[in-house]
Amino acid sequence: MDANMNPTMLLFTILLLSVMGFIMGRKRSYAVANQVGGMSNLHSRPTYYGSLTALWCAIPTLIIFSFWLLFESRIITDLVIATLPDQLQNLPADRLNLIVNDIRNMVNGNIVSSEPNPSMLAAAEHYRKLNSLSHASLTVIVIAVAIGAILVIQKTIHPKLRARNHVEQVIKYILIACSTIAIFTTIGIVLSVLYEAIRFFRIVPLSEFLTGLEWSPQMAIRADQVGSSGSFGVIPVFMGTMLISAIAMCVSVPIGLMSAIYLSEYANRTFRSVAKPLLEILAGIPTVVYGFFAALTVAPMIRNSGGVLGLDVSSESALAAGLVMGIMIIPFVSSLSDDVINAVPQSLRDGAYALGATQSETIRHVVIPAALPGIVGSVLLAVSRAIGETMIVVMAAGMSANLTLNPLKTVTTVTVQIVALLVGDQEFDSPKTLAAFALGLMLFVVTLILNVIALVVVRKYREQYE
Amino acid sequence: MSAEKKSIYPDKPELQFENKRKFTNKREPLVDRENRKTVGQPTVENPRMSCLNVNVYYGDKQAIHDVTLDIGRNEVIAMIGPSGCGKSTFLRCLNRMNDTIDFCRLTGTILLDGKNIYDKDVDVVPLRAQVGMVFQKPNPFPKSIYENVAYGPKIHGLVQNRAETDEIVETSLRKAGLWEEVKDRLNQPGTSLSGGQQQRLCIARTIAVGPEVILMDEPCSALDPIATARIEDLIDELRENFSIAIVTHSMQQASRVSQRTAYFHLGDLIEVGSTDQVFLNPLHQLTEDYVTGRFG
Repeated sequence: MDANMNPTMLLFTILLLSVMGFIMGRKRSYAVANQVGGMSNLHSRPTYYGSLTALWCAIPTLIIFSFWLLFESRIITDLVIATLPDQLQNLPADRLNLIVNDIRNMVNGNIVSSEPNPSMLAAAEHYRKLNSLSHASLTVIVIAVAIGAILVIQKTIHPKLRARNHVEQVIKYILIACSTIAIFTTIGIVLSVLYEAIRFFRIVPLSEFLTGLEWSPQMAIRADQVGSSGSFGVIPVFMGTMLISAIAMCVSVPIGLMSAIYLSEYANRTFRSVAKPLLEILAGIPTVVYGFFAALTVAPMIRNSGGVLGLDVSSESALAAGLVMGIMIIPFVSSLSDDVINAVPQSLRDGAYALGATQSETIRHVVIPAALPGIVGSVLLAVSRAIGETMIVVMAAGMSANLTLNPLKTVTTVTVQIVALLVGDQEFDSPKTLAAFALGLMLFVVTLILNVIALVVVRKYREQYE
Repeated sequence: MSAEKKSIYPDKPELQFENKRKFTNKREPLVDRENRKTVGQPTVENPRMSCLNVNVYYGDKQAIHDVTLDIGRNEVIAMIGPSGCGKSTFLRCLNRMNDTIDFCRLTGTILLDGKNIYDKDVDVVPLRAQVGMVFQKPNPFPKSIYENVAYGPKIHGLVQNRAETDEIVETSLRKAGLWEEVKDRLNQPGTSLSGGQQQRLCIARTIAVGPEVILMDEPCSALDPIATARIEDLIDELRENFSIAIVTHSMQQASRVSQRTAYFHLGDLIEVGSTDQVFLNPLHQLTEDYVTGRFG
């Protein structure tokens, strides 16, 4: 066997060994069952003995494998640096980083930035050696553990071994691990945003950020540069988000709700089966497509019609972005509302009809009030979608942070500013860049609150009718 | 094959089944069980509603076959029969609740005070005010107790001001025997009441629009015996002012509350007669089998 397998090959070997373990475990269970007089004396079905063997073969080896790959590069780099000549070792951290990069490039056979000197060539050679040594030992350890596990489990397979319970226990832990990954990712994102935001709030106080009426994040990067000192008042940006979201909700709530009412109460089955998927296609259009629809079609149309009426409309208006965003979130409102209206029990409608209520009276007085919590939930979810929407506003809403409620003026939103602050060459310790994280944190908190309210409202509704 | 059906309890003579294919000669007139013509007396003098040759179809399937039946004034008529026999369908025809089902079709005549309710010029809105309905499961609206009762009079324009509404709410709740229990909490949601109270609220709601006929579709099937007894007492009191048609699965209930009973079987009206006669001395073999508990 080639001792110097690459990681992909090794992964494949682990898989192969696990399959082998499965087959051997199953075979072994048949054998022990026959010794004690038939399958009925076996605690679990043979597949479980096979699975148990395969799991014990795969899980420890995969854990060793992933940890090895995770720490291999760092340990080898440290070892290589330790062998470098003193004058190189004593260089500042960023220069040393460059040299290490060069060494890595040499190892991989890529172009190097500087002229290779003998000490670096030696280091590269050393690096290569350590690397192959590490891979070889990983291969040996992993295969040894896998085979060892198979042999140990083979020995323990016994008619009384509770293989099914063990396997189900292990699967339960695998499921727990998967769900914690999602949770920890969320926590990780929150913490990293929070950390950067706190760095920002050290420079710009929280009170100034939350109450400032002016947003102009441009500031001098170098001491000799001429530039404004930057002001980070979030109110104009937040007002822009609110204005555009409000316009979007004005479009999507009536249209979405009414189409939901039509679809669930009036439309016949054929129309419904065609119209509902068509409406949901709206949700499938990429937002960037909506973005240029807003910027190239809707915004000029609004400016021209405004011109006819003698209004002063800027070419990038809150109205254009809000209208298109409203169209985009119609399916969120209509689809969810349609579901909750359908969930209203037929008996309530019958009760109203039996009293002599007309169809529209039944809908207005009985069905909608009964479905209201669910409808509110769907609207709140749509609002948080509107607040977080980026692409449409980047393309259609503009950049200048005007503190205005006039929908014909150009405004900017939190998401647009985050994009603007982080695009291009930036220094990651200037308040200008860090402001993006503060904005992101604020956006996150607002949408989180809205989602929590929506979930609570929807849950309350469910309790009422099920 | 042996004509005698084998019992599953051969050692218990009291559980031996007789062969039901044979006609019994016990009483006259003898009715063939294959004969689905209605026996008994389907008509009454001066009826409130009278149905003539009613057929109902769900799509291609016929659910009701040629039913002729009168509903008299100030009487409770019970409709009994095994599940799927069409009794609920028939009940829902009486106030055109089946209109809400697209593929449901009806032929025949249903007269309310001499006027065919299926005529083109009849509007279902006032019709349903005249023929109210109480359902199997209590279905109070998601409104307060007060609003639940006031809703019907409001949409029909029966009340002009708050005082009139208050009055109609109180009378209806009193008639439904619920007033004493809820008078201090009229503003609480109707769903906060117990099952039996909710059903009486639904009856109060129906009474409030001043109907002539009240249709009840298994009104007690979701209730416990005590709540059921209250509703049954109430039905008996309501008979003074209304005609009541009640569908029930409980034969005891039918015999307790009704004056006349109609037995439905697979879409046919098999037998109609006074409740005593139907339960004690049924004319049709199928009716006898059902009321004596041989099937159903």
